[in-house]
Amino acid sequence: MNILETRNLEHEFNGYSVLKKVNLEIRKGETHAIIGPNGAGKTTLFNVISGMYTPSKGKVIFKKKDITGFKAYKIQRLGMGRSFQITATFDNLTAFQNIRMAVLSRKGIRFNLFRFVDKMNDVTTETINVLQNLDLWEACHTPAGMLSYGKQRSLEIGMALATDPDLVMLDEPAAGMSADETHTAVSLIKKLTKEKTVVIIEHDMDVVFSLADRITVLNHGTILATGIPKEIKANKDVQAAYLGRLEDE
Amino acid sequence: MDKKTRWMFWIAGIIIFAIFPKLAGIYYSNIVVSMSVWALFAVSLNMLLGFTGLLSFGHAMYFGTGAYGAALALTHVNGLSFFSAMAAGCLCSVVLSLIVAPVVVRVSGTAFAMIHLAFAQCMFVLALKFRNITGGEDGIGGFSVSHIRIPGLFSLDVTDPAVFFYLSIGTVILNLLVLWFVIQTPFGQVMAGTRDNVKRIEYLGFRVSHTKAVVYVLAAGSAGVAGAVSAMHQNLVAVNDAYGMMVSVLPIMIVMVGGARSFFGPIYGAVFFGFLEEYVTAYTDKFELILGLILIIFIMYWPLGLAGIFLKLKFKWLTRKQFLKRSGGGAG
Repeated sequence: MNILETRNLEHEFNGYSVLKKVNLEIRKGETHAIIGPNGAGKTTLFNVISGMYTPSKGKVIFKKKDITGFKAYKIQRLGMGRSFQITATFDNLTAFQNIRMAVLSRKGIRFNLFRFVDKMNDVTTETINVLQNLDLWEACHTPAGMLSYGKQRSLEIGMALATDPDLVMLDEPAAGMSADETHTAVSLIKKLTKEKTVVIIEHDMDVVFSLADRITVLNHGTILATGIPKEIKANKDVQAAYLGRLEDE
Repeated sequence: MDKKTRWMFWIAGIIIFAIFPKLAGIYYSNIVVSMSVWALFAVSLNMLLGFTGLLSFGHAMYFGTGAYGAALALTHVNGLSFFSAMAAGCLCSVVLSLIVAPVVVRVSGTAFAMIHLAFAQCMFVLALKFRNITGGEDGIGGFSVSHIRIPGLFSLDVTDPAVFFYLSIGTVILNLLVLWFVIQTPFGQVMAGTRDNVKRIEYLGFRVSHTKAVVYVLAAGSAGVAGAVSAMHQNLVAVNDAYGMMVSVLPIMIVMVGGARSFFGPIYGAVFFGFLEEYVTAYTDKFELILGLILIIFIMYWPLGLAGIFLKLKFKWLTRKQFLKRSGGGAG
């Protein structure tokens, strides 16, 4: 069963077409990687799906519901969470408060002006659990802006996951990380997304091949190929457009 | 601070509050009242600026509307008490903010600041031109606030400065407590999140425009209360003191000097500016010049304001105490 589908999705910026007839199918429970050279339109695809932009043409179907043109908050409430390539945390709030924000969202506590947030014990317990899972417990009182880059990235992924979405969209979770940090991040993602559907944009081929059940290759705004990692590795077009160039380096 | 010292602190505060008008006299009581009005006004601005990340160059529109609302209610309705007039002022500001909110919550940053400059100037001109209602440049004055009575029990004469002191300070503290509480709720967290990262807040499923609207109306209502108390305190509302440019700029200065990151910062700032005005105007009438200089010094050297300085001193004192405790055995 497909949890997410895009049908002939197109998007253009000022007449320059970034996505052309993209038909993406994400099956429930799989980890699906989207790869492609710089400027292929991967992040734009994410933005169109998750509600930052309304697509110029085409449809986005999430859980059998047409969500084309929905605002981001609405799509999130339907069960889609995402992380950003450029870390988007609350820099002046502590790691604890950052995660708590996601927990509050999950519990649907949005306009409560009548209780001390510090005294909501269920929220606090859940936040502590998430922080321990993320290995951020020791840094819980540090403002997010003062955390090390690796920890900030963990927090970024953690916030996307702490709302307990059915579909997680991770935009280059390992961007700018060292080899060690990448390794930690990959095992973290594996551990936390066991029963979830994950769509992940990634440049690091090791990450892609260790995480993904299926891979979609995007080039110049069109889908070049979709398949299991073995097929993608063997695909001639893909090699020419992307992998081949990497091997030359 | 442990529980016992906190209680001592509160009790001491209440005692000082109770005997202050007797002890310090009418003149200083009045200064404290106007300080508290500015403190509430600045804190209400800081709900937008420091806690939600919205800079308004026209917060005077709510202060002024509260002041005019209270003054007009007192002029046209007979036998209105302190609290009803205050409620009238607050209500006027809330209604105005509800009208403006659908527009302003959609913008942020510079657009938010400038749109408020425009709205506040509109209110200024309207108040100036509709002189049959507002009295134009002369303003509205000489309205009488009737006694607060519970038949058979007591009757409070609000024109007595000491009574007015208790009522106005009590009102301001109550309103400040409400705002402080809001900061501590889950909604307060969402406000801070909106300040730090709008995109993330949206992608966590919170509606940014609704969040902003709620804070906005709260801030407007509190500014309205400040305006109403100020109108009754002066027994006069004139257009320059209600909607004037300085009325919008001064709370921003108070917040910057007091510290925007702290809830209590603007209160320190208001006290500081109150004393400053008292002493500077004794020597020169170029008060604004001194204000500007002080603002520059604070922005350059103490960007966290007075609240930041206090926090630093407290931290130093605590580490010193801990150091002494640790080395206490050897030294003693």
